[in-house]
Amino acid sequence: MATKTKARKSAKGPAATARTEDRNYRAAKIYKSARRVALDELPAEYVRADLEFIGVEHAGASYEARVYVNNPTADVNTEPTEGNGYAGSFYVFGHGGCFGDPGHCDVHQTQRDDFDPRRSHPLEPIKKVVVATEAIKAAAMTGSSLNVTVVPVVTSWTEKVDTDDVLKFDHINLVTYF
Amino acid sequence: MASLTVRKNADNLSAAELKALRAGYAQAQTIMDNRGYNHFAGLHGIPNWYCWHHSHAQGSTANANLFLPWHRAFLLYFEKAIRDQSPQAPKVGLPWWNWSSAQSHLTGVPKAFSVATVGGQPNPLFRARIVAPSATPPINRMTRRFPGNPAALPTQNQVENLLNVNQFTDFTNQLENIHDGIHGWTGGNNGAVGGDMGSVGTAAWDPIFWSHHCMIDRLWSLWQLRHGVANITPALLPMVLQPFGLKVQDVLSTSALGYTYAVSFVQL
Repeated sequence: MATKTKARKSAKGPAATARTEDRNYRAAKIYKSARRVALDELPAEYVRADLEFIGVEHAGASYEARVYVNNPTADVNTEPTEGNGYAGSFYVFGHGGCFGDPGHCDVHQTQRDDFDPRRSHPLEPIKKVVVATEAIKAAAMTGSSLNVTVVPVVTSWTEKVDTDDVLKFDHINLVTYF
Repeated sequence: MASLTVRKNADNLSAAELKALRAGYAQAQTIMDNRGYNHFAGLHGIPNWYCWHHSHAQGSTANANLFLPWHRAFLLYFEKAIRDQSPQAPKVGLPWWNWSSAQSHLTGVPKAFSVATVGGQPNPLFRARIVAPSATPPINRMTRRFPGNPAALPTQNQVENLLNVNQFTDFTNQLENIHDGIHGWTGGNNGAVGGDMGSVGTAAWDPIFWSHHCMIDRLWSLWQLRHGVANITPALLPMVLQPFGLKVQDVLSTSALGYTYAVSFVQL
């Protein structure tokens, strides 16, 4: 049994460059959920809570997306710990930009019919899941609502791609299981 | 058992095995036809884009994630191509890079893959030449790699938790997420540009790619030992893994494919 709540994407926050640990990572635009989810929307009991990121684009750079619950000031220098509301990370292995001729990377250029044996376009947006059970339950212990902040840390890129606005997705589902 | 290829930990290869592996990679890297390293690397991303990551539709199957079976077939064909080019005995299997080991958490990429030269000669496990004339723009250069902090690699605890996931789709997605992170970690960047393991288009040219994916395949194999070789979404079984001519059902058993990840055989 699963319950779902939705939050629409709205990217906010200035870009910044920074070094985390001793690596040459690049900071990128941070996502902060526009809507707070009331925790009474969740069932009283659940054994697992997932944050599903729907429609994640992956045509560009590779990055780690650090997901925080109830920490709207989280940024690339925030330590990913439980105390800071860190829920987990999803990783994007980016395609590195387009190395084909014009149209090669356009996902909707071809129309598929029911008899098409070919695989759908490799750059179709994907779903990423962060198992966030502990973080969601911790939020429920300390408050009545939660929001989500996603901090992208760009790890690798090509000369063809932007590293400032890497985090693109359609929406987040908060899904619980019993 | 004795006839199976044993895929070993990259940190535990003997001197003879390492020599045979380097010989196979070096020779394959000189060949530009469909027996060669450049050909196989080019099947993954640039220019052929056969690699399967995440879920896609194919034919009548709407939501198929063939990440694990596709890469299993890919490694199998590559391993055979390398062994064909390795004239020295013993015939060595692809080694796996255990990025969760204590050693990897100290030193990162295995030494066999991180030294630039061996005996005064370029190490074919360190880097390879990307020749992709049909890319836009054309690519002809050596691979580059800027690995991150070894302490940031996945832990053995994370791996153990992963192996305890019961359901195939959930396991695939969580393993693929770890896989994605390793690619970004291994490619890294030098402040100006990223390494090739960090981009799908060029990742397979970096020689560490094959050992990273060998570890991924090994984890699937270990998961199968716990949860069943045939534990996979039934709708995936008849799906074809292009361009290898194999179906998913053909690649479920590593022993049927002629290799094993067993670390010891003791006859009593």
